[in-house]
Amino acid sequence: MRQHDDLDAMDQGDEVLERVVEELRRPLRVNAALFDARVMDEVLRPPSGLRARIASLTQPRTFRVSPLVALAAGLLFAVTAVGSVLYVLPSTPHAAPRVAARSAINSPIVQFGFAAPHASSVALVGDFNNWDPKATPLRAASTGGVWSVEVPIQPGRHLYAFVVDGTVWRPDPAAPKASGEDFGEPNSALTVADPGMR
Amino acid sequence: MTNRSFALLALALLCAPAALRAQDARLDARLDAHTRDAVVSLIDSARAEGIPSEPLVQKALEGASKHADGPRILTAVRMLARELGDARSALGSSSTDAEVIAGASALHSGIAPAALSRMRATRTHGSLAVALAVLSDLIARGVPGDTATTVISALTGAGAQDAELLKFQQGVERDIAQGATPSAALGVRAQSAFPSAAPRRTP
Repeated sequence: MRQHDDLDAMDQGDEVLERVVEELRRPLRVNAALFDARVMDEVLRPPSGLRARIASLTQPRTFRVSPLVALAAGLLFAVTAVGSVLYVLPSTPHAAPRVAARSAINSPIVQFGFAAPHASSVALVGDFNNWDPKATPLRAASTGGVWSVEVPIQPGRHLYAFVVDGTVWRPDPAAPKASGEDFGEPNSALTVADPGMR
Repeated sequence: MTNRSFALLALALLCAPAALRAQDARLDARLDAHTRDAVVSLIDSARAEGIPSEPLVQKALEGASKHADGPRILTAVRMLARELGDARSALGSSSTDAEVIAGASALHSGIAPAALSRMRATRTHGSLAVALAVLSDLIARGVPGDTATTVISALTGAGAQDAELLKFQQGVERDIAQGATPSAALGVRAQSAFPSAAPRRTP
Protein backbone atom coordinates (compact mmCIF):
# COMPACT_ATOMS: atom_id res chain seq x y z
CA MET A 1 0.00 0.00 0.00
CA ARG A 2 2.72 2.31 0.92
CA GLN A 3 4.58 1.47 -2.30
CA HIS A 4 1.45 2.33 -4.33
CA ASP A 5 1.21 5.77 -2.67
CA ASP A 6 4.84 6.50 -3.54
CA LEU A 7 4.18 5.72 -7.24
CA ASP A 8 1.24 8.17 -7.27
CA ALA A 9 3.39 10.96 -5.79
CA MET A 10 6.10 10.43 -8.45
CA ASP A 11 3.50 10.73 -11.22
CA GLN A 12 2.22 14.01 -9.78
CA GLY A 13 5.80 15.41 -9.55
CA ASP A 14 6.46 14.53 -13.20
CA GLU A 15 3.35 16.46 -14.23
CA VAL A 16 4.48 19.57 -12.37
CA LEU A 17 7.94 19.37 -13.92
CA GLU A 18 6.50 19.00 -17.41
CA ARG A 19 4.33 22.11 -16.88
CA VAL A 20 7.32 24.14 -15.73
CA VAL A 21 9.43 23.08 -18.73
CA GLU A 22 6.59 23.87 -21.06
CA GLU A 23 6.27 27.35 -19.55
CA LEU A 24 10.00 28.01 -19.99
CA ARG A 25 9.97 26.85 -23.60
CA ARG A 26 7.22 29.30 -24.48
CA PRO A 27 8.73 32.28 -26.51
CA LEU A 28 9.02 35.50 -24.49
CA ARG A 29 7.07 38.49 -25.75
CA VAL A 30 8.82 41.78 -24.98
CA ASN A 31 7.62 45.30 -25.67
CA ALA A 32 10.90 46.76 -27.08
CA ALA A 33 10.04 50.44 -26.48
CA LEU A 34 8.93 49.79 -22.91
CA PHE A 35 12.04 47.69 -22.22
CA ASP A 36 14.45 50.45 -23.45
CA ALA A 37 12.70 53.06 -21.36
CA ARG A 38 12.99 50.98 -18.21
CA VAL A 39 16.71 50.26 -18.83
CA MET A 40 17.51 53.96 -19.35
CA ASP A 41 15.60 54.86 -16.19
CA GLU A 42 17.85 52.52 -14.24
CA VAL A 43 21.02 53.89 -15.88
CA LEU A 44 20.15 57.53 -15.26
CA ARG A 45 18.87 57.08 -11.73
CA PRO A 46 21.30 59.08 -9.44
CA PRO A 47 23.24 57.10 -6.87
CA SER A 48 22.34 57.56 -3.24
CA GLY A 49 24.27 58.01 0.02
CA LEU A 50 28.06 58.67 0.28
CA ARG A 51 28.59 57.42 -3.25
CA ALA A 52 26.17 60.05 -4.46
CA ARG A 53 28.06 62.87 -2.68
CA ILE A 54 31.44 61.78 -4.08
CA ALA A 55 29.97 61.48 -7.55
CA SER A 56 28.53 64.98 -7.34
CA LEU A 57 31.99 66.39 -6.56
CA THR A 58 33.85 64.56 -9.30
CA GLN A 59 31.44 64.85 -12.20
CA PRO A 60 31.98 67.76 -14.59
CA ARG A 61 29.22 70.32 -14.78
CA THR A 62 28.19 72.92 -17.23
CA PHE A 63 27.44 76.43 -16.01
CA ARG A 64 25.63 79.11 -17.82
CA VAL A 65 27.12 82.57 -17.14
CA SER A 66 26.01 85.85 -18.63
CA PRO A 67 28.68 88.01 -20.35
CA LEU A 68 28.30 90.65 -17.64
CA VAL A 69 29.03 88.17 -14.84
CA ALA A 70 32.00 86.79 -16.80
CA LEU A 71 33.41 90.33 -17.21
CA ALA A 72 33.02 91.01 -13.49
CA ALA A 73 34.78 87.74 -12.62
CA GLY A 74 37.64 88.60 -14.99
CA LEU A 75 38.05 92.04 -13.45
CA LEU A 76 38.05 90.55 -9.95
CA PHE A 77 40.76 88.09 -10.97
CA ALA A 78 42.85 90.85 -12.56
CA VAL A 79 42.58 93.10 -9.51
CA THR A 80 43.58 90.22 -7.22
CA ALA A 81 46.55 89.29 -9.41
CA VAL A 82 47.81 92.88 -9.72
CA GLY A 83 47.36 93.38 -5.99
CA SER A 84 49.47 90.32 -5.26
CA VAL A 85 52.24 91.54 -7.54
CA LEU A 86 52.16 95.02 -6.00
CA TYR A 87 52.59 93.49 -2.58
CA VAL A 88 55.91 91.99 -3.67
CA LEU A 89 56.92 94.81 -6.01
CA PRO A 90 56.16 98.07 -4.26
CA SER A 91 55.11 100.94 -6.44
CA THR A 92 57.36 103.89 -7.13
CA PRO A 93 58.23 106.12 -4.25
CA HIS A 94 56.90 109.63 -4.01
CA ALA A 95 60.25 111.21 -4.80
CA ALA A 96 63.94 110.60 -5.25
CA PRO A 97 66.15 111.06 -2.19
CA ARG A 98 66.75 114.73 -1.51
CA VAL A 99 68.76 116.77 0.93
CA ALA A 100 66.30 118.04 3.53
CA ALA A 101 68.60 119.85 5.95
CA ARG A 102 72.02 119.72 7.56
CA SER A 103 72.84 117.82 10.72
CA ALA A 104 74.79 119.12 13.69
CA ILE A 105 77.96 117.58 12.25
CA ASN A 106 77.21 119.39 8.96
CA SER A 107 76.35 116.19 7.11
CA PRO A 108 73.45 116.75 4.76
CA ILE A 109 70.25 115.13 6.00
CA VAL A 110 68.80 113.13 3.14
CA GLN A 111 65.14 112.22 2.99
CA PHE A 112 64.33 108.80 1.55
CA GLY A 113 60.86 107.69 0.53
CA PHE A 114 59.45 104.40 -0.62
CA ALA A 115 55.90 103.36 -1.46
CA ALA A 116 54.90 99.93 -0.18
CA PRO A 117 51.21 99.98 0.73
CA HIS A 118 51.03 96.37 1.82
CA ALA A 119 54.37 96.05 3.60
CA SER A 120 54.63 95.54 7.33
CA SER A 121 58.13 97.00 7.53
CA VAL A 122 60.62 98.83 5.31
CA ALA A 123 64.28 99.45 6.17
CA LEU A 124 67.01 101.49 4.52
CA VAL A 125 70.36 99.76 4.01
CA GLY A 126 73.49 101.15 2.45
CA ASP A 127 77.17 101.84 2.77
CA PHE A 128 76.33 104.56 5.32
CA ASN A 129 74.83 102.15 7.89
CA ASN A 130 76.93 99.03 7.35
CA TRP A 131 74.14 97.46 5.27
CA ASP A 132 72.35 96.63 8.49
CA PRO A 133 68.60 96.05 7.95
CA LYS A 134 67.94 96.84 11.62
CA ALA A 135 69.79 100.14 11.66
CA THR A 136 67.44 102.49 9.79
CA PRO A 137 63.75 101.54 9.73
CA LEU A 138 61.39 103.74 7.72
CA ARG A 139 58.16 105.13 9.20
CA ALA A 140 54.87 104.64 7.43
CA ALA A 141 52.72 107.65 6.67
CA SER A 142 49.20 107.52 8.07
CA THR A 143 47.77 107.18 4.57
CA GLY A 144 49.00 106.23 1.13
CA GLY A 145 51.43 103.50 2.10
CA VAL A 146 54.49 105.75 1.72
CA TRP A 147 57.39 105.03 4.04
CA SER A 148 60.07 107.62 4.76
CA VAL A 149 63.10 108.41 6.86
CA GLU A 150 65.66 111.19 7.14
CA VAL A 151 69.31 110.25 7.57
CA PRO A 152 72.48 112.33 7.86
CA ILE A 153 74.84 111.18 5.11
CA GLN A 154 78.40 112.20 4.42
CA PRO A 155 79.09 113.86 1.07
CA GLY A 156 80.11 111.44 -1.65
CA ARG A 157 78.63 108.67 -3.74
CA HIS A 158 76.71 106.03 -1.85
CA LEU A 159 74.97 102.78 -2.66
CA TYR A 160 71.74 101.80 -0.95
CA ALA A 161 68.56 99.75 -1.17
CA PHE A 162 65.36 99.07 0.73
CA VAL A 163 64.49 95.86 2.56
CA VAL A 164 60.76 95.17 2.58
CA ASP A 165 59.31 92.91 5.29
CA GLY A 166 62.81 91.95 6.36
CA THR A 167 63.57 89.79 3.35
CA VAL A 168 62.80 91.42 0.01
CA TRP A 169 65.53 93.73 -1.33
CA ARG A 170 64.43 96.50 -3.66
CA PRO A 171 66.34 99.33 -5.33
CA ASP A 172 64.89 102.82 -5.21
CA PRO A 173 62.84 103.24 -8.41
CA ALA A 174 63.34 106.99 -8.26
CA ALA A 175 67.15 106.85 -8.19
CA PRO A 176 69.82 105.68 -10.63
CA LYS A 177 70.53 101.99 -10.41
CA ALA A 178 74.16 101.31 -9.58
CA SER A 179 76.03 99.41 -12.24
CA GLY A 180 77.02 95.88 -11.40
CA GLU A 181 75.23 93.50 -9.10
CA ASP A 182 77.94 91.75 -7.17
CA PHE A 183 75.50 89.84 -5.01
CA GLY A 184 72.47 89.46 -7.24
CA GLU A 185 70.43 92.27 -5.71
CA PRO A 186 70.58 95.65 -7.47
CA ASN A 187 71.45 98.81 -5.55
CA SER A 188 70.59 102.43 -6.10
CA ALA A 189 73.15 105.21 -6.24
CA LEU A 190 73.04 108.50 -4.37
CA THR A 191 75.47 111.38 -4.77
CA VAL A 192 75.59 113.92 -1.97
CA ALA A 193 77.45 117.10 -2.75
CA ASP A 194 79.81 118.70 -0.28
CA PRO A 195 78.78 122.34 0.06
CA GLY A 196 82.31 123.29 1.03
CA MET A 197 83.87 122.07 -2.21
CA ARG A 198 83.54 123.03 -5.81
CA MET B 1 118.07 89.09 22.30
CA THR B 2 117.97 91.01 25.55
CA ASN B 3 115.25 90.51 28.11
CA ARG B 4 113.80 93.91 27.24
CA SER B 5 113.62 93.12 23.52
CA PHE B 6 112.04 89.78 24.26
CA ALA B 7 109.43 91.44 26.46
CA LEU B 8 108.59 93.98 23.74
CA LEU B 9 108.30 91.26 21.11
CA ALA B 10 106.02 89.22 23.35
CA LEU B 11 103.87 92.26 24.04
CA ALA B 12 103.60 93.02 20.34
CA LEU B 13 102.58 89.44 19.57
CA LEU B 14 99.94 89.58 22.26
CA CYS B 15 98.58 92.94 21.21
CA ALA B 16 98.52 92.42 17.43
CA PRO B 17 95.61 89.96 17.22
CA ALA B 18 93.62 92.01 19.71
CA ALA B 19 94.17 95.16 17.63
CA LEU B 20 93.14 93.28 14.51
CA ARG B 21 89.95 92.05 16.16
CA ALA B 22 89.05 95.50 17.46
CA GLN B 23 89.73 97.06 14.10
CA ASP B 24 87.33 94.77 12.26
CA ALA B 25 84.61 94.21 14.81
CA ARG B 26 81.97 94.79 12.13
CA LEU B 27 83.43 92.01 10.02
CA ASP B 28 83.73 89.69 13.01
CA ALA B 29 80.02 89.86 13.60
CA ARG B 30 78.93 89.27 10.02
CA LEU B 31 81.48 86.99 8.30
CA ASP B 32 82.70 83.49 8.98
CA ALA B 33 86.27 83.24 10.24
CA HIS B 34 87.82 82.13 6.96
CA THR B 35 86.13 84.84 4.87
CA ARG B 36 86.84 87.48 7.49
CA ASP B 37 90.58 86.65 7.56
CA ALA B 38 90.78 86.78 3.78
CA VAL B 39 88.91 90.10 3.63
CA VAL B 40 91.11 91.58 6.35
CA SER B 41 94.17 90.51 4.38
CA LEU B 42 92.85 92.29 1.27
CA ILE B 43 92.04 95.38 3.31
CA ASP B 44 95.50 95.46 4.85
CA SER B 45 97.09 95.21 1.41
CA ALA B 46 94.89 98.01 0.09
CA ARG B 47 95.66 100.22 3.04
CA ALA B 48 99.37 99.67 2.54
CA GLU B 49 99.00 100.94 -1.03
CA GLY B 50 97.14 104.05 0.07
CA ILE B 51 93.79 102.79 -1.19
CA PRO B 52 90.71 103.70 0.90
CA SER B 53 89.68 100.66 2.92
CA GLU B 54 86.18 101.61 4.07
CA PRO B 55 84.58 100.76 0.69
CA LEU B 56 86.09 97.27 0.97
CA VAL B 57 84.62 96.80 4.44
CA GLN B 58 81.25 97.99 3.18
CA LYS B 59 81.39 95.66 0.18
CA ALA B 60 82.01 92.70 2.48
CA LEU B 61 79.16 93.78 4.77
CA GLU B 62 76.85 94.21 1.78
CA GLY B 63 77.62 90.65 0.72
CA ALA B 64 77.01 89.37 4.24
CA SER B 65 73.66 91.16 4.46
CA LYS B 66 72.65 89.70 1.11
CA HIS B 67 73.62 86.23 2.33
CA ALA B 68 76.35 85.78 -0.31
CA ASP B 69 78.77 82.95 0.30
CA GLY B 70 82.38 83.55 1.27
CA PRO B 71 84.01 83.05 -2.15
CA ARG B 72 81.56 85.45 -3.77
CA ILE B 73 82.24 88.10 -1.13
CA LEU B 74 85.97 87.68 -1.61
CA THR B 75 85.63 88.01 -5.39
CA ALA B 76 83.64 91.24 -5.04
CA VAL B 77 86.03 92.73 -2.49
CA ARG B 78 89.05 91.78 -4.59
CA MET B 79 87.51 93.33 -7.72
CA LEU B 80 86.69 96.54 -5.88
CA ALA B 81 90.21 96.72 -4.47
CA ARG B 82 91.58 96.43 -7.98
CA GLU B 83 89.24 99.13 -9.28
CA LEU B 84 90.16 101.45 -6.42
CA GLY B 85 93.83 100.90 -7.19
CA ASP B 86 93.29 101.56 -10.89
CA ALA B 87 91.33 104.70 -10.08
CA ARG B 88 94.09 105.93 -7.80
CA SER B 89 96.64 105.38 -10.55
CA ALA B 90 94.50 107.09 -13.19
CA LEU B 91 93.60 110.10 -11.05
CA GLY B 92 97.02 110.58 -9.52
CA SER B 93 98.51 110.08 -6.10
CA SER B 94 97.19 113.41 -4.85
CA SER B 95 93.57 112.43 -5.47
CA THR B 96 91.28 112.28 -2.47
CA ASP B 97 89.56 109.17 -1.16
CA ALA B 98 86.20 110.48 -2.38
CA GLU B 99 87.64 110.91 -5.89
CA VAL B 100 89.16 107.43 -5.84
CA ILE B 101 85.87 105.88 -4.70
CA ALA B 102 83.89 107.73 -7.37
CA GLY B 103 86.57 106.86 -9.93
CA ALA B 104 86.24 103.18 -9.05
CA SER B 105 82.49 103.43 -9.64
CA ALA B 106 83.16 104.94 -13.05
CA LEU B 107 85.57 102.14 -13.90
CA HIS B 108 82.98 99.62 -12.74
CA SER B 109 80.56 101.28 -15.18
CA GLY B 110 82.92 100.58 -18.04
CA ILE B 111 84.86 103.83 -18.28
CA ALA B 112 88.51 103.37 -19.28
CA PRO B 113 91.24 104.50 -16.86
CA ALA B 114 92.59 106.83 -19.58
CA ALA B 115 89.25 108.68 -19.58
CA LEU B 116 89.63 109.31 -15.85
CA SER B 117 93.09 110.74 -16.45
CA ARG B 118 91.71 113.05 -19.14
CA MET B 119 88.99 114.25 -16.76
CA ARG B 120 91.62 114.87 -14.12
CA ALA B 121 93.38 117.10 -16.61
CA THR B 122 90.24 119.18 -17.11
CA ARG B 123 90.03 119.97 -13.41
CA THR B 124 93.39 120.26 -11.77
CA HIS B 125 91.99 122.27 -8.85
CA GLY B 126 88.98 121.07 -6.93
CA SER B 127 87.40 117.68 -6.49
CA LEU B 128 86.32 115.43 -9.32
CA ALA B 129 84.28 113.21 -6.99
CA VAL B 130 80.84 114.55 -7.91
CA ALA B 131 81.69 114.75 -11.61
CA LEU B 132 82.75 111.10 -11.60
CA ALA B 133 79.67 110.10 -9.60
CA VAL B 134 77.42 111.92 -12.08
CA LEU B 135 79.24 110.16 -14.90
CA SER B 136 78.56 106.75 -13.33
CA ASP B 137 74.91 107.57 -12.68
CA LEU B 138 74.32 108.77 -16.24
CA ILE B 139 75.80 105.56 -17.60
CA ALA B 140 73.56 103.63 -15.21
CA ARG B 141 70.61 105.50 -16.73
CA GLY B 142 71.55 104.25 -20.18
CA VAL B 143 73.71 107.05 -21.59
CA PRO B 144 76.57 105.58 -23.66
CA GLY B 145 79.86 105.78 -21.77
CA ASP B 146 81.77 107.67 -24.45
CA THR B 147 79.06 110.31 -24.83
CA ALA B 148 78.69 110.76 -21.09
CA THR B 149 82.45 111.08 -20.63
CA THR B 150 82.69 113.68 -23.38
CA VAL B 151 79.88 115.82 -21.96
CA ILE B 152 80.91 115.62 -18.31
CA SER B 153 84.51 116.37 -19.22
CA ALA B 154 83.36 119.36 -21.21
CA LEU B 155 81.19 120.59 -18.35
CA THR B 156 83.95 120.27 -15.76
CA GLY B 157 86.36 121.90 -18.15
CA ALA B 158 83.92 124.78 -18.57
CA GLY B 159 83.93 125.28 -14.81
CA ALA B 160 80.65 123.65 -13.82
CA GLN B 161 80.16 123.50 -10.06
CA ASP B 162 79.18 120.32 -8.23
CA ALA B 163 75.65 121.60 -7.58
CA GLU B 164 75.31 122.44 -11.27
CA LEU B 165 76.47 118.98 -12.27
CA LEU B 166 73.92 117.37 -9.95
CA LYS B 167 71.19 119.63 -11.31
CA PHE B 168 72.28 118.71 -14.82
CA GLN B 169 72.04 115.02 -13.96
CA GLN B 170 68.57 115.47 -12.48
CA GLY B 171 67.44 117.23 -15.65
CA VAL B 172 68.70 114.41 -17.84
CA GLU B 173 67.00 111.83 -15.62
CA ARG B 174 63.75 113.76 -15.74
CA ASP B 175 63.86 113.90 -19.55
CA ILE B 176 64.57 110.18 -19.73
CA ALA B 177 61.69 109.48 -17.38
CA GLN B 178 59.44 111.50 -19.69
CA GLY B 179 60.39 109.43 -22.69
CA ALA B 180 63.54 110.93 -24.19
CA THR B 181 66.33 108.62 -25.22
CA PRO B 182 69.32 108.84 -22.85
CA SER B 183 71.63 110.23 -25.54
CA ALA B 184 69.12 112.84 -26.70
CA ALA B 185 68.37 113.91 -23.14
CA LEU B 186 72.07 114.34 -22.41
CA GLY B 187 72.69 116.33 -25.60
CA VAL B 188 69.72 118.65 -25.12
CA ARG B 189 70.56 119.35 -21.47
CA ALA B 190 74.22 119.96 -22.30
CA GLN B 191 73.27 122.37 -25.10
CA SER B 192 70.88 124.14 -22.79
CA ALA B 193 73.14 124.44 -19.76
CA PHE B 194 76.48 124.99 -21.41
CA PRO B 195 76.16 125.75 -25.11
CA SER B 196 79.89 125.70 -25.63
CA ALA B 197 80.24 122.34 -23.90
CA ALA B 198 77.61 120.42 -25.85
CA PRO B 199 78.93 117.77 -28.25
CA ARG B 200 78.97 118.98 -31.85
CA ARG B 201 77.13 117.04 -34.43
CA THR B 202 79.00 116.09 -37.51
CA PRO B 203 77.11 116.89 -40.70
